Amino acid sequence: MTKEDAQGSTAEEAQSKKGLKKQQKEAEKAAKKAEKQAKLAADQQGTEEDDFAKDQYGISAMVQSQQKLDRELVRVQDLTPEKADKVIWLRARVHTSRAKGKQCFLVLRQQQFNVQALVAVGDRASKQMVKFAANINKESIVDVEAVLRKVEQKIESCTQQEVELHVEKIYVISQAEARLPLQLDDAARPEGEGDEDGRATVNQDTRLDNRVIDLRTTTSQAIFRLQAGVCMLFRETLTNKGFVEIQTPKIISAASEGGANVFTVSYFKTSAYLAQSPQLYKQMCICADFDKVFCVGPVFRAEDSNTHRHLTEFVGLDIEMAFNYHYHEVIDSITDTMVQIFKGLRDRFQTEIQTVNKQYPSEPFKFLEPTLRLEYTEGVAMLRQAGVEMGDEDDLSTPNEKLLGRLVKEKYDTDFYVLDKYPLSVRPFYTMPDPSNPKYSNSYDMFMRGEEILSGAQRVHDAQLLMERAIHHEIDLEKIKAYIDSFRFGAPPHGGGGIGLERVCMLYLGLHNIRQTSMFPRDPKRLTP
Amino acid sequence: MALKELSSLEKFLGLKKHNKYSTQGDNKVPVLQSNNGPVVGLLTVCSHLVNEAKRPELLGSSTEHRAMVHQWLEYRVTKVDGCGREEVKTVLKDLNLYLQDKVYLTGNCFTLADALMYYGLHPLVVDLAVHEKEQYMNVTRWFDHLQHYPGLRHHLAPVVVLRNRVYTSGHH
Repeated sequence: MTKEDAQGSTAEEAQSKKGLKKQQKEAEKAAKKAEKQAKLAADQQGTEEDDFAKDQYGISAMVQSQQKLDRELVRVQDLTPEKADKVIWLRARVHTSRAKGKQCFLVLRQQQFNVQALVAVGDRASKQMVKFAANINKESIVDVEAVLRKVEQKIESCTQQEVELHVEKIYVISQAEARLPLQLDDAARPEGEGDEDGRATVNQDTRLDNRVIDLRTTTSQAIFRLQAGVCMLFRETLTNKGFVEIQTPKIISAASEGGANVFTVSYFKTSAYLAQSPQLYKQMCICADFDKVFCVGPVFRAEDSNTHRHLTEFVGLDIEMAFNYHYHEVIDSITDTMVQIFKGLRDRFQTEIQTVNKQYPSEPFKFLEPTLRLEYTEGVAMLRQAGVEMGDEDDLSTPNEKLLGRLVKEKYDTDFYVLDKYPLSVRPFYTMPDPSNPKYSNSYDMFMRGEEILSGAQRVHDAQLLMERAIHHEIDLEKIKAYIDSFRFGAPPHGGGGIGLERVCMLYLGLHNIRQTSMFPRDPKRLTP
Repeated sequence: MALKELSSLEKFLGLKKHNKYSTQGDNKVPVLQSNNGPVVGLLTVCSHLVNEAKRPELLGSSTEHRAMVHQWLEYRVTKVDGCGREEVKTVLKDLNLYLQDKVYLTGNCFTLADALMYYGLHPLVVDLAVHEKEQYMNVTRWFDHLQHYPGLRHHLAPVVVLRNRVYTSGHH
């Protein structure tokens, strides 16, 4: 053998040693795999053999309207002791599922209501069925046939506390993915509790990014049902007062509140704006003899503010009405409408209010009848008495508004009040000046829990005066020509105001961020979902 | 600032003769030229004035009491004067706890300690918002009491203190 050969052969030997080792390892691996497979097969055979309940559970075929089943599905909220021992079908979400030996406990949830369900190994359910139930992914939608049974001990953690379901059949109608972007229990947990016990809460951005799931919590369900209630009560109250609902355009040719905070859109070969308020059109309707109008619609403000109370798009509830001799007729009408809304919420939405308070505790909303009305000068005096320095014609800063709200609450015990006769210099050009004092105006703001919810006034209904005021505010008359023209052919004295739906809900419930009361909020940093 | 204080203190003590003060050093330490030589330092000058006015009880009636008065005078000059934003909170918090069960700083009698602490804390308290004044309830109570003490206020603006609590719940 040559040296090379010798080297070659040691290399070969080394290789073959390595090769041997490798082969050995592979053989071991294969052996293990075979063992595992054999075991699995044995298991499966075992499971298949014993599963007498095979048809009582499983994943259903996708509901593509294959058949019309004449089956009544009972609502979870209707599961009460009166129906005990009945066999019922229901469809709900799996909130949690927990296996314990031969039993599986499920909590089935439907909007704000949930109920405990039990799958136990017995003559109805097999071991495999219990295992299946325990492994259903959270949030999956299931159809369940069960016997409703009364329980001796109240189930504190469910809304239906006196009953539980003994499951006989369970089918998955729509399966949820195993990993949820957030846990509903965490999302519904009060802030304080999370920190104390080391359990998680979900921060706002995560909620908003996964809004569809966040909206399923009992708190969210309650908040938005209450919000729907506000809209409904607004319409109901005003319709009963003889107001007519109108629809106003949102694509307009001139910025209604000033050019700074307006969104521009391309409009064929030119551009247009998204309406910052229905102000101009409300007034034109009054000049068109509709007398008393209201409208509910989106409002767009391109304000680059990232605060707890600003959105770039929100729902405006606007009122405008002609009056006989004094603009206080308008204030009285608006405050009465607000009071009717507060009463309606208090009397008809108490369940929702309590549900929200569980996660976000707050003091109940207080208001007076008739509504408290203070003059601006009185408000300034109260602030000065508390040590605030401000001029007679200064506007109220947000901290001062909040402090004034506190002082008013302490003195009059109300969370809702009107501040009347604002200084003229801080109001828009179409505000009617005070006849007896040129420094003030016939305008007013309304506050809930110290935060402004409505800005309103008697409007200038005389074309001549309107032009003078516009010139004084350095507004280009050409841009508002159509607006001024509407007052040239007889216009009644009128006034009104607008509120933000989300802000009213937030303040009524004592919440602290407007994104909690906007389903899919829009702000300078958020455009989705 | 120190000179205004001394002038107010003289008026409070009822001293007919108003002294002329000079200052020395970067810290503007007040100096009084007296018959026995220069008296240097705010606390020293104040004690001198108190003795001149023959009101020794303002410096403490017993040894223990005198020690307490002196402790607060020291506190004024070392902790309160020239304290930054962050320290203000600590000072007010500690003081608030301390004043829980005392009418005046040393117990039940007004002393020079109260006067000088009042003068020293004024610029801090004048800037507090309503909710902060409620937070440091005991400091506010003591402060309001002193600014109404006959003859004490003189050169300082009155601070508004509300009679009733306005911030009843946590969030403001």
